[in-house]
Amino acid sequence: MYYFAEQRNKMNSVGEGCTELKREYDQCFNRWFAEKFLKGDRSGDPCTEMFKKYQLCVQKAIKDKDIPIDGVEFMGPNKEKPES
Amino acid sequence: MKIWTSEHIFNHPWETVTKAAMQKYPNPMNPSVFGVDVLDRQVDAEGRLHSSRLLSAEWGLPSIVKSLIGTTRTCTYIQEHSVVDPKEKLFELKSSNLTFTNMVSVDERLVYRPHPQDPEKTVLTQEALITVKGVSLSSYLEGLMASTISTNAGKGREAMEWVIRRLNTEIGELAATARGTIRTPMAAAVAEE
Repeated sequence: MYYFAEQRNKMNSVGEGCTELKREYDQCFNRWFAEKFLKGDRSGDPCTEMFKKYQLCVQKAIKDKDIPIDGVEFMGPNKEKPES
Repeated sequence: MKIWTSEHIFNHPWETVTKAAMQKYPNPMNPSVFGVDVLDRQVDAEGRLHSSRLLSAEWGLPSIVKSLIGTTRTCTYIQEHSVVDPKEKLFELKSSNLTFTNMVSVDERLVYRPHPQDPEKTVLTQEALITVKGVSLSSYLEGLMASTISTNAGKGREAMEWVIRRLNTEIGELAATARGTIRTPMAAAVAEE
């Protein structure tokens, strides 16, 4: 099993206010990736809710900073539009 | 336009390398990357994981290039698409710069796959396409950038080894913690007797 010591795994988000959400999501994802996905377990990742929260934050930061992202469907497979 | 390619063999199995590559940043060898964000992520019908990430970096351009292209703003954004196929054991990443595209474009592709003869090893193939636009001396600059990429690729490989060591240490620490928690009540029990 892999647990990632947060204090040694620090990376920022493009949105200063999103860093905590990002770290929470990363930790969840990394664990699922190592323990389930790479081992062929097809069960979905349990991090969807965290990802949504983090995404809303990042999208706003990207818009504010005017970063020219290309061709990314932000809300994943269901293509929900974040109506604000 | 200039094409740069390289191949490297890691003495670690594909799963280990892939895990480390997914969380390559931060590492002391690539301090210029200060932000990584996941923009989109999904598993397709074939069970492959697609990720789109945004990397924020301080662009490590030689200062002569900075002065030639006349920019002082060196914060750059890179978009990266990756696919992990756990069945085929293939991890592919493609990245390109989002900023300064009017001056230069760097398109990079990395592929990690198990060594065909030795499953305990992983082969990384890396290629970069560099195009400097609209400045004279562009072939000189492209050469310069290729050598920068070459240096950075070396750092990237060191970084991977560093991340793998870090992950291995954490497993060790976890085991030690687990032993510690078991030992504590036992020690307490002994002390009580």
